[in-house]
Amino acid sequence: MIAVLALVIGVVLGLVLDPTVPVALQPYLPIAVVAALDAVFGGIRARLDGIFDDKQFVVSFVSNVLVAALIVYLGDQLGVGGQLSTGVVVVLGVRIFGNVAGIRRHLFRA
Amino acid sequence: MSEGTPGSGSGRPGPDRRGSASFGADLLTDLFVNPLDPGYADAAERRRSTGATPVHGRVSGRIATAVVLVLFGLLLSVAYQHVVAGAPAAERARSGLVDEVLGAREESESLERRAARLRDQVAAERDRALGGGADVDRLRDLEAGTGLARVSGPGMSVRLTDGPPDIDPVSGEPTGENPGRVLDRDLQRVVNALWAAGAEAVAINDQRLSAVSTIRGAGEAVLVDFTPVTSPYLVRAVGPPGMVQRFASSRTAEQLRWLQEKYRMGVTVSGRDRVVLPAAPQPRLRYAKPPGRTASPSPSGSGR
Repeated sequence: MIAVLALVIGVVLGLVLDPTVPVALQPYLPIAVVAALDAVFGGIRARLDGIFDDKQFVVSFVSNVLVAALIVYLGDQLGVGGQLSTGVVVVLGVRIFGNVAGIRRHLFRA
Repeated sequence: MSEGTPGSGSGRPGPDRRGSASFGADLLTDLFVNPLDPGYADAAERRRSTGATPVHGRVSGRIATAVVLVLFGLLLSVAYQHVVAGAPAAERARSGLVDEVLGAREESESLERRAARLRDQVAAERDRALGGGADVDRLRDLEAGTGLARVSGPGMSVRLTDGPPDIDPVSGEPTGENPGRVLDRDLQRVVNALWAAGAEAVAINDQRLSAVSTIRGAGEAVLVDFTPVTSPYLVRAVGPPGMVQRFASSRTAEQLRWLQEKYRMGVTVSGRDRVVLPAAPQPRLRYAKPPGRTASPSPSGSGR
């Protein structure tokens, strides 16, 4: 309940404040969203599995976002930013799908 | 957060799993089979072995989770707004360019209209100066024949439109190739066939053709006298009554029918009782001079 509330507050804050993202950080926005989604779905599944842990969630969220951004940054510097972004999206996408499948099994028993 | 039975109902291997993880093909398999971060299982195991975390730890953890979720929401909305703001920028630039092109085209059209008006005025002034007579009539006939004056009379029109673009059977998107597109060659053939059928004056989309007119392709566009014309192409001609039949029996008409059948290019041929064709722009003759004249920069130097 608190989690959903916090999420809604975050979205509303973002829409109301409309913060401007520095140009240097803009390329990392989409990949950060994907990484954050992975952490959030992992958290939801853990919650449903009954093994949710606050510390684990916070750490995985922050490290996911930072590592994804770092990989893309490194890729950009090396000239393979597009390919590395694709790699990150594929890996995180697989995990998101797996976690969503777990959530689905919990919610619908299917 | 409820403290459920650790690792319940998931059938997940214990924390010692990480020790056996080998890096290779198994890494990918592992990724597919166990999408959940093993850290959760570790934490649950730790909790089970050491007992429940103290209350203040749980509260601060929950606050941290809430903060992270606020951040996540912020991230989502910011990314969303970023994407939404990015699209109109491209759209704005495009529509600005479109406006510019349309404005320039309008201006050129109005200038052309003004040129036509002035040309009529010049012709009228000249007729008055010459004071009528056989010379003026001959001059008018010559002007009409060479395309320098407006003409009207019975005739016909040929309307050509691009065929529908090829649709890729897989994606449903246009392939970018369109064999049914009207090419400069097609227009050239039609115009040639019209001349051959006895036309005395021809215009493509109100661009009158004169002796120095060009019809050529430039990429996707067709240029008639360096003015781009686009589909539908309306080729109108003034000529004798039997022109439509003569045109219909020409090789070009046969070719057009084939293009129509095979590539669905739009072809409409119709006779007209009265066709009015505009004047062609004055040819800028810089090197060609009538023999016997030397100094005058252009044949109509004082008339301009």
